[in-house]
Amino acid sequence: MADKYFVSAAPHFHKKDESVARIMWTVNVALVPVAVMGVAIFRWCALGVMLTAVLSAVITEAVIQRGRGQRVTVRDGSAFMTGLLLAFNLPAHVPLWLPVVGSVFAIAIGKQAFGGLGRNIFNPALAGRAFLMAAWPQHMTTFTRPFAVDAVTQATPLVLLKEGKALGLADMGLNHFDLLLGFRGGSLGEVCALALVLGGVYLLWRGIITWHTPVTFILTAGLFGWVFGAPQGFFQGDFLFQILSGGLLLGAIYMATDYVTSPITKKGQLIFGVCCGLLTGVIRRWGGYPEGVCYSILFMNAAVPLIDRFAQPRRYGVKK
Amino acid sequence: MGQVVAIILGNILINNFILFKFLGLCPFLGVSKQTRPAFSMGLAVTFVMVSSGLITWLAYRFLLLPFHIEYMRTVTFILVIATSVQFIEMVILKLSPPLYRALGIYLPLITTNCAILGVTVLNVQDFFVPGKGPAVGSLPLSLLQAFCAGVGFLFVLLLMSGIRERLELAEVPESLEGLPVAFITASLMGLAFMGFLGLKI
Amino acid sequence: MKRLAREFTKGIIAENPIFFMVLGLCPALAVSTSVTNAVGMGLAATFVLVCSNMIIALVRRRIPDKIRIPCFIVIIATFVTIVEMILEAFAPALDRSLGIFVPLIVVNCIILGRAEAFASKNPVLPSIADGLGMGLGFLVALVTIAFFRETLGSGKLMGLSLSHRFEPALVMALAPGALLVVGLLIGGLRWVRSLRSS
Repeated sequence: MADKYFVSAAPHFHKKDESVARIMWTVNVALVPVAVMGVAIFRWCALGVMLTAVLSAVITEAVIQRGRGQRVTVRDGSAFMTGLLLAFNLPAHVPLWLPVVGSVFAIAIGKQAFGGLGRNIFNPALAGRAFLMAAWPQHMTTFTRPFAVDAVTQATPLVLLKEGKALGLADMGLNHFDLLLGFRGGSLGEVCALALVLGGVYLLWRGIITWHTPVTFILTAGLFGWVFGAPQGFFQGDFLFQILSGGLLLGAIYMATDYVTSPITKKGQLIFGVCCGLLTGVIRRWGGYPEGVCYSILFMNAAVPLIDRFAQPRRYGVKK
Repeated sequence: MGQVVAIILGNILINNFILFKFLGLCPFLGVSKQTRPAFSMGLAVTFVMVSSGLITWLAYRFLLLPFHIEYMRTVTFILVIATSVQFIEMVILKLSPPLYRALGIYLPLITTNCAILGVTVLNVQDFFVPGKGPAVGSLPLSLLQAFCAGVGFLFVLLLMSGIRERLELAEVPESLEGLPVAFITASLMGLAFMGFLGLKI
Repeated sequence: MKRLAREFTKGIIAENPIFFMVLGLCPALAVSTSVTNAVGMGLAATFVLVCSNMIIALVRRRIPDKIRIPCFIVIIATFVTIVEMILEAFAPALDRSLGIFVPLIVVNCIILGRAEAFASKNPVLPSIADGLGMGLGFLVALVTIAFFRETLGSGKLMGLSLSHRFEPALVMALAPGALLVVGLLIGGLRWVRSLRSS
């Protein structure tokens, strides 16, 4: 009987033909349209950032696993994914040593220090991004104009809103279609809403992610922005603008849904999504930073063990 | 009103006592291994903070200032805190012996919790005009600051306990087991809390 | 004499208060933003530690057991007040940088810990040696942490600029960076110690 028990940490699988590698690579495939659009909008620098981030992540993981005497598992695609997601969170024209440092931090500290895949508490890519932001804020907040041949700096829509330089899309010379297709300043993977949503739909269809976290996250942040977001008064915010700008779609679809760092139960996932959305809204409206997605997810990551403990599903047939 | 909100946000989130002021680290690392004792410790600390905050304020205002012996602040405050802790020890022993045992040595160690002496000294720095006396609203603001410091302490302690319970099952590298990975976790939590920088409602 | 030497050296490495006994963390993280501050705090704490150890060892047989902790605290607090006054008079800039952590020396677990564990049970000379050793260990640990934080976080060492090409990682001078450096140092030293014992 004893060998029928198998205690392990996340990720847990219930389908027979699933494996970590298959899931990771499916997500990586879903990220391809985002990567392609990143290069299309921000040119070759974007490709350089992505390649350096991914290579650094993979090499760091291999070196650490070798050093610990473990089997090197970089082929499972998880380090690749961390590197790629980190790159998506960076402005396209950062010096190339930045993604290297970020990836090393993300893998070594964010993932391996906790024991490797399935053991980390915080999303490694976001941990890397937060570290980079705290270390070199000037590089991390210098965004460039899309489709420019040379790097011309341009503030992102959320920055313009936070600084009071624009009251809405019209002031920025943009419309919702620009936001949808990514014709705006921002991190190289966050701008093209269409590519992000396409990838997300693909992952939903394949059953890799569930709707609970992303939908609640996005809706809550959008609603919050609609109610509180406009400087003119309540209920005058632009719902679509809130959803389509900043790193909301990228974070909600690909990072808040990371199995290891998000709640196990559906109820927990809903709570997680709502809280992330609220935090994002609060930081966007009243915080010092123009964007709060990264911090809200990391903050909620810390709360996940407590959420899992208290948001247990109802057990039928058992007296409470 | 703005000052009240600033104190609340500042002490709980923006300049959290543990993650940014580094006050209260020893119990933070010592009691955060399980959730229940962590919660009790957080409550005990908050209580001592508020009660000590009150008594030290009164002592500073009516004893040290009028007699111009402000330099006796450190000695006076720490004695007040030590006495409050003795008192709460007796109360917990009476009300719940199992809790008393669970908290163990960390209960008397609340006296050396830098956060408590820290918040009493901060209250004097923030809410007394040097050489003159208490600033406007000094007593309620001091009590509020003490309470929020405790809440911030409790909050982070709770989060940490949840995480460390989970880390028990993980395969942390041997040299990092226990304290080092707790520090690294606190570091990442600190990065997350940096999102609240500049928060103003 | 040999015993004195042993009591002195144990505090520096083998039983280093910060890295191996993990005490006195609060000031270690807060004042290690620059090596100058670290040295200042280390010296101040050592002074209090040596003096309090000495006095406690002198009067150890006369303190009733039940109230020994409050007695220790009063003795320690007295010396902390002296240090506060000395710093305010002779090193006001340092006093300002160390800020709230000067009065907080009184709750530094190292000082109370050594009083309880050693000075209350040993004669005066070994207690002084113990205090010196632990204080020095504390200073060394503080300076090590500050070294990394100052060089990586501001590109300077003791106020002098290092290289112009290096872009300092600001986070190292901030709280999360401090926690990271200490965690990695403790882990790293443990690893080194495990290598030597195997």
